[in-house]
Amino acid sequence: MPLRIFKPEFSTELRLVYADGGVRAGFPSPAQDYVSATIDLNKDLIEHPASTFYARVVGDSMEEEGITEGDILVVDKSVEPHHGDLAVCCLDGEFTLKRLRFTSADRLYLMPSNRRYRPIEVTTENEFRVWGVVLYTIKSNRRRRPGTERW
Amino acid sequence: MVGLIDCDNFFCSCERVFRPDLAHKPVVVLSNNDGCVVARSREVKAMGIPDCLPYYQLMERYPNSGIVAFSSNYTLYADMSSRVMAVLRENVPDVTQYSIDEAFLDLNGMDHVDLKAWGEELCRKVERSTGMPVSLGIAPSRTLAKVASKFAKKYPGYRKCCVMATEEQRVKALQLTAAVDVWGIGRRIARRLEYYGVRTAYDFAQKNRGWVRGKFHVTGERTWQELNGDSVIDVDGLDTVAKQTIVTSRSFPGMLTELSDLRSHIANYAARCSLKLRRQNSVCHIVTAFIQSNHFREDLPQYSNSAYRSFLTPTNTTTEIVGAANAALDSIFRQGISYKRAGVMVSGITSGDAVQHDLFTYDPERSEKLRTVSAALDRVNGKMGADMVVLGIQQYRDKGADGKSVKFVNAIRRALKSPDYTTRLGAFTVG
Repeated sequence: MPLRIFKPEFSTELRLVYADGGVRAGFPSPAQDYVSATIDLNKDLIEHPASTFYARVVGDSMEEEGITEGDILVVDKSVEPHHGDLAVCCLDGEFTLKRLRFTSADRLYLMPSNRRYRPIEVTTENEFRVWGVVLYTIKSNRRRRPGTERW
Repeated sequence: MVGLIDCDNFFCSCERVFRPDLAHKPVVVLSNNDGCVVARSREVKAMGIPDCLPYYQLMERYPNSGIVAFSSNYTLYADMSSRVMAVLRENVPDVTQYSIDEAFLDLNGMDHVDLKAWGEELCRKVERSTGMPVSLGIAPSRTLAKVASKFAKKYPGYRKCCVMATEEQRVKALQLTAAVDVWGIGRRIARRLEYYGVRTAYDFAQKNRGWVRGKFHVTGERTWQELNGDSVIDVDGLDTVAKQTIVTSRSFPGMLTELSDLRSHIANYAARCSLKLRRQNSVCHIVTAFIQSNHFREDLPQYSNSAYRSFLTPTNTTTEIVGAANAALDSIFRQGISYKRAGVMVSGITSGDAVQHDLFTYDPERSEKLRTVSAALDRVNGKMGADMVVLGIQQYRDKGADGKSVKFVNAIRRALKSPDYTTRLGAFTVG
């Protein structure tokens, strides 16, 4: 499969130039001949800017599906939550990141992805609301250099 | 019909969006330097705690009340405000922002719509999209819409939306509203009205029009007309001062397409706002610029947006406010749009007497120069007429990108400030 390179252009709009020239041996020339379009992740991924918030993951409850501490969540408050969605939930006054599982018996479970945690059944005893649905998870594939905020 | 949408306890609600643990707890927001209470949640109001109570008195008098206090977080409030306005603009063709947490909606041409159901749905949509609870009043005039919004806020039975459509509803609402609570009737006028036996809004509306004009001039007469269902106050073109916010906005006679043209308009509105700040001896933390296309021209591409810039050290100098307003404009300007209206809002307004300087970026010499320039402008313009001397448009590079010093400075300046949940990556965490 041909690879595509997205070369960043550090303008204020965070626009990334989409270079259509395929991958060459060595490194791509900074003066790509085949620049045909730009990608602005703000525009392409964020459908509802007014209701989109960024959050950072703390803890390990979703670790087995690869969501780990430090990942950035793109959360949209305006979309309707569905079965299977990853959601930022408010349960009894606390935020929790879980997958929603609606069962046929009209029950709702908050599902962790970590065997060390149990699913939580949401009942009428709980104060519960879906704060927002996580549309994307942004993950760094590098480790932070110890003791710094830098990569 | 006109709608007035008003955020419920705006500052407190902004804080609560990111603190679900505070959903039913008493919350206050403090003025700059944590001086006194500037915003109270419903629970705090129910405890009988007055607005503007000094913070130390609050701590002394209500030691075990469980009140949670926040320092003002203007960055968060400006961001939440622009989100609420953006959702409104997506759903209503003509939105005029009136203060940081209020907007007028032009609902003409919606006669075929069930406004009550539509309004309830709009409020639900805003709250679901942004987390901000809002109330909506709909009535034949802006002044009546304001009255209606208070009812929508006060009585849960309205489900956030109160429509004042019939004569009976209007009379009843005005009878239940004190004259002093009417938009445009201040405390001073209310005292005079009381002398004439006018206590409620209804008493005022029942007075003879000529009598009102004789005693309270054309502004009083306008309020009288509005209360009687006649829409005569147009916020467009009115410089409004409300709730620690100053807005200057105008419609253009034609339409503008060039950034350079918009720049000079925005610069003028910003200069007006800064003049108003100086006149009342206050400074602002946030400058917001907004632009709008002509929604009546459905044949043209539609676009409206707003953006803001914040100051580390609050200011009222023309140079800085014009610069910030144009920097905000640059970030939202789009080619190929015919713009019909633009405006500038300054918010996070505090007294100019006790300005807290930012430790790292404050340059006393530069600051003094800018103040001197502004004072000279005011003197010349005061003598020679408004806008006799104006600034050339300043280029401005926003310096707020230095994350570390911002954080540290905020920590020392405003001890109880919440994180900038919406504008700083990592401030909002989910476990």
